[in-house]
Parts: sequence; structure tokens; C-alpha cells
Amino acid sequence: MFLAFKEMARAKVRFALLIAAIALLVFLILFQQSLQNGLITGFIGAIREQNAPVLVYSVDGQRVLQGSVITPDMEADILAAPGTGETGPIGQGTFTGLPSGNADGETFDTTLIGYELGPDGDGIGAPTTVVEGRLPTADDEGVVSDADVALGYDIDDTVTLLPGGKEITIVGVAENAQLNVSPTLFVSYDTYLSAVKSVNPDAGTPLPNVLGVIPADGFTPDEAVASINEQSLELDALTKQDAATETPGVAQVQQSFNIIFLLYGLVVPCVTGLFFLIVTFQKANSLTLLRAIGAPAGRLVSSLLIQVVVIIGVGLLIGTLLYYPVSQQALGGIALQFETAAVIFWSVLLLSLGVLSSLVAARRVLKIDPIEATTGQGVGS
Amino acid sequence: MKLALKELRRRPGRFATATVILTLIAILLMFLGGLLDGLIASSTGAIRAQNADAIVYSDTAQASFVRSRIDPELRAQVEAVEGVTEVGGIGNVQLGARVPGNGPRDLASVALFGYELAPDGVPDAPPYGQAWADDSIKADGVEEGMIIEVGPARTPIAIIGFVADTNFNGQSSLWASPDTWRDTLSANRPDAQLGPDVFQALIVRGDGANLPDAIDAATGGATDSYSVDGAVAAIPGVTEQQGTFNQIIGVTVAIALVVIGLFFALLTVERTSLYGVLKALGAKSSTIFAGLVAQAVVVTAIAAFVAGTLVILLDLLLPPGSIPLLITPSRIILSVVLLLVAAVLGCSFSLRRVLRIDPASAIGTTS
Repeated sequence: MFLAFKEMARAKVRFALLIAAIALLVFLILFQQSLQNGLITGFIGAIREQNAPVLVYSVDGQRVLQGSVITPDMEADILAAPGTGETGPIGQGTFTGLPSGNADGETFDTTLIGYELGPDGDGIGAPTTVVEGRLPTADDEGVVSDADVALGYDIDDTVTLLPGGKEITIVGVAENAQLNVSPTLFVSYDTYLSAVKSVNPDAGTPLPNVLGVIPADGFTPDEAVASINEQSLELDALTKQDAATETPGVAQVQQSFNIIFLLYGLVVPCVTGLFFLIVTFQKANSLTLLRAIGAPAGRLVSSLLIQVVVIIGVGLLIGTLLYYPVSQQALGGIALQFETAAVIFWSVLLLSLGVLSSLVAARRVLKIDPIEATTGQGVGS
Repeated sequence: MKLALKELRRRPGRFATATVILTLIAILLMFLGGLLDGLIASSTGAIRAQNADAIVYSDTAQASFVRSRIDPELRAQVEAVEGVTEVGGIGNVQLGARVPGNGPRDLASVALFGYELAPDGVPDAPPYGQAWADDSIKADGVEEGMIIEVGPARTPIAIIGFVADTNFNGQSSLWASPDTWRDTLSANRPDAQLGPDVFQALIVRGDGANLPDAIDAATGGATDSYSVDGAVAAIPGVTEQQGTFNQIIGVTVAIALVVIGLFFALLTVERTSLYGVLKALGAKSSTIFAGLVAQAVVVTAIAAFVAGTLVILLDLLLPPGSIPLLITPSRIILSVVLLLVAAVLGCSFSLRRVLRIDPASAIGTTS
């Protein structure tokens, strides 16, 4: 151990460079993990965090909320399915919103999700994660996603939809309830209908985009989905988890990030392994001499492994420290979060891979024959 | 320099690990760049294809077709702007399309455009009920002459030919007459239907110095006009995607720089005594450093070549519609240039060590 730390203290630049490389890689991996999760939450969080266990799309909608239209015939088919209990229409549209809480008077793409409120505002399609304020209980009231508060969408602020000038007052904030990575408001179904009319006077009355379904007694959500889909080839019923994960684009985002993570995950052990292999080559003569004067091979290997653990550990620490402030920011409307599970997962994985990669250098150390001290050869030969 | 290249030839194993790491980093760079290019291309093709000096939306539309509404009065104001020579309406609707031969739940995503002025590469608007299709729709089994049914109203559209690189929002575009688009919109999206002669946006051609600003001034701010490049950048998400990916690519290049710096710094330390001998024999520091740079450049070039080949293979193997990867020669060249710059800069970390080598160290002390 003494040797390991002494060597690191004497060659600060060389070890600092390795730590810098690992720290940058760790930072990038964690940042991208947050970006991936933030992107997916911003994209489909509202679907995940609403209360209808089953959502029924039209096949034409291709699992895009705004793209789906439920005609009266389809609605009749859904109601006729044995697995259907209660249902409620859900409508969604994207509007240009001017929040009163934004000091710069900036406008934003604003998503409206309309659902039938029911007596307490918790009708089918209501957000389940209200963390501040309350659910809407009347028309022209809305609950906003927490990621949008910083943009000026806070409780008691009003959002004016342009053109037309329809105003919605924010009465609550829900956690992780964005859709399409834009400010998202849960409002009454009638508010949604009048919003559509206010911005486009030519518009006809919109049909529901999807129908939220509570399964009939004795049916699980999966059984209700199967029952509804059997009714018609025009219907595409999904549990809310499936509706979230099968929204077009989500799988592609995950696949793309997985490839990126795999490549970064390979670079870290390669860099660590290369570094310690070269260092071992450089120390060949000294290591041979140490073995000749009685240093056990195990001590030299443990010294090497201590260095690996310390270097990767410090790299992980610095990378995580760099990541922390970035994870508290929003990036182009995507709210990032500090992912503790990702930090633990990547720390364990990178440490294990780093130690594994240094075993090549350890093998070289173990191969040292002390007799070579008398011939001038070492591990480098 | 010859000595350095000879070493590379005679002892390639010494450089193998660095080459492997750089190959991984080069793959990352090219993959990230290809992903960015793919995302942008599939979102913006329909706008990039416009042969326009200005694209005009209504003032609150935030450059979104579906939220924009240009009525005939507003259009007349635009047409009256000095320098405007041609004005054409345009609109779109994004729907699912049933393709003959595909399963009843297996729909193609399409963005149907109605247009008056033809974009580059797209012929004039076809007769009612027909459309030119972006060739990306072939992956969904669509062929020339086929009639696809669009939207819940199953509006029939006959495909009369194919055009290239005109996708919009990741969907295959269809290019039809304004009447085809307007009727399809009304039948399938009653909440978004528009009155007669109302369009979502205008394509404007002219010879004014700054046409978009002139149009917005002439309409008293009732319009929000862009150049083609501006309209591409204004598509929601495009700027954010570019910014995020470019930052990640930048940090990845920095990592490449550190890896190269680390590797050649270690190599220099290892060969200090040999460089001492070379200096004692009269070699200049610049010659030794040039050798290091040459080795770094060769190692990086090999890594970039292998990475480029692998990324092109990956692009060919990926099934259509999975990952939006677009590998272009310009992206590969840019990645290679960035890596080479990182290689030279990384190598320069070793310059100080090379300069500090004392030729006298060759006498007596060899390690």
C-alpha cells in the first residue's frame, strides 16, 4: 500500500491525466443517463402518471395520443367489451401558451390534456402525482407538470392560449407529468374543447383522442385490454405502462442510448487497462528488483489493484461531482434529475470492469522471475 | 519521422491498445454524429426541400404547421409586399396509412402535404386523390401505383411516384394538391379543418434583401416569417437536439484528446533514455516530436478507418425504422478531422518532456 501511494504521489501528472479521463467518461455516462430518463419522462410522463389503467387508441393513431381519434362506433365497441368498466374521454392538443408567470412574456408550445373531471377532479385521466395545490374542479382550471413551473407555469398563474385568448388558471402541480417535452396542463374536457375552438374558428368538434378505461370487476388491466382488442381491429387498447413505453420514439431513444452506453462502458476499462499495462512495462526493472530482494508477488499485485481502485474511485467521485450540478438543470425543456441508482450501477460496473482490465497488468507482475534481476530482463521483455 | 513510422511497422502490438480505444471513441463520435444527422434529416426534409425565400406562418404558430392559419386576406397582404414574386399555400396533416398487403394493425406513418409551389425535387402538384411519396415509405411496402388509405376516414391516395429526402417529423411525406390535403384534413381531423382558401403556411419567393422581415413588417406582425434555414431551426426540438448532441460530441473529443495525451506521454516517459541517445547522436527535439505526432496521426487514422467501416456496416445492418442513423461522408470526415486535431493536441502534452531530455543522459544513465 505504501508503494502504491508513494508512486502515485511521485507521478502526479500521469495519474491525474488518467483520473481526468475517467472522470470525464463517468460524467458523460451519468449525464446521458439523466438525459435519457428526462427525455422519456418529458415525452410520455403524462401517460404514465394519469389514473386510467387502460387507454384505448384507434389503430390509426399509431399509439400517438394526438394522432388517435375515437369515433362513436369505436366507442360503442369499447363499451360492449366485457372487460370494460367505466370509461372517460381524453383529448389532447398542442397550443401556443403565454404564461403570466413568465417575466419575459415568452410563449411556449403547451399541451392540453382534457378529461372529464368528475366531482373532485379525479375523473378518468386525472394526474396521479399532484404534489402541490389541487386537481382542477371547474372549467378553465388546470394542473401543470412540475418541470414547467420554472417557465412561469406556477399555481395561480394564468396561461393564455394564442390566438383566441382563452385563459386557464393553474391550481396544482403534478410530478413528472409532461407530454411531448412541453409544458403540459391537465384540464376539464370542456376546457379542451373550447380551447380547440378558440384557436381555430374553422374547427369542427373534436372527437376524443383516446378513451380511458377502468376494467370491469373481475378483470385485470391486461384482461380488459385483450377483451377490448377482440371487439374490433380498429381498436388498440393498451395498459398505461404499455401505452407509455410503446409511444413511437421511446424504444428508439432507448436503443440509441444503450448503444452509446455500451461504447462508453467499453472505453473506461480499455483506458484503465492500457494505462496500468504501460505503467507495469515501465516499472519492469524495478518490479524485478523488488521481487529479487524478497517482495512477494501478491504484495506487488495488491499494490497495483489498490492504485486501480483509488484511481477509478477518485474518477467516479469527480465525475459524479461534475454531474451533480448539471443534473439539477433543465435542458431545452427536459428536466434532468440526479439518478442515484445510475450512479451506484455505473460505479460498481466501472470499478469491476476497471479491476478486471488491470488483471492483464497483474498477470505480467505475477510472471516476473526474480532471477531476471541478475540478467537485466524484466516483465517488459 | 522515418524512425517513428518504422517503429509502428515493426512493433504494431505496442500501439494496438491505444488503437482499439481510439477506434471505440471514433465509433462513438461517428455514431453520435450519425444519430444527430438522422434525427434532423427525418424531421426537417420537407422544409429543407422548399425552394423559398421566406416561409410564412401566422404570428402565434411558433413555426408549427398545425397551429398556423393564413386566411386569404393575410395572404393578399403578403402578396402585396415589395419584392415578392410568387406565393404558394402549403399545409400538412399527419396520419396513419393503411397499405395493401400489410396487416390491419400495421400502418405507415405519413405526413400529407398540400402545396401550390413545388419544393425542390418534387414535381408539380398531381391531380386530386394522387400524391408523390417520399421514398422512405418503401420500407412500409408501398409501391408506385398503389392506393393507400389514409386516416380513420380511410381517404384513398394513389401513389404516382417517389421523391427523396422530404420527410417531416420522422414521418414519410406525401405531396398532393391543396384540395386533396384540405379534404383529407377535414375528413380525418375535423378539429383541425380549415376553411376554403385558408392554408397553414405560405411559401414565398422574391428578390427582396430581407424578405421575412419585410413580410412581417407589412402584415403588422400578423405573420411570423423565416428563411428556409430559420424555419428548419424553428422546428420544435431541432436546436435543442443539435445543442445537446454537439456538447456530447465535444466532450467525447476531449476524452480522445486525454487518451492520446496519456498514451504518448507514457510512451515518451518509457523512451526517455532512447531519445537521450538520439539527441546525443544529433537528432533535434523537433524531429523527435514530429515522430511522435506522426505516430499519433497514423494510429488515429487507422482507428478512424476501422471505425468508419464499422459504422457504415452498422448503418447497413440496422433495419429501416429502428434507429434514425444517417451516416454521411461529411460526418465521417468531420469526425476524422476532430480526432486528428485531438491527436496532435494530445501529443503536444509530450513536447515538454521531449524538450527536457538531456543528451548527456545517454552517457552512463540509461533509465
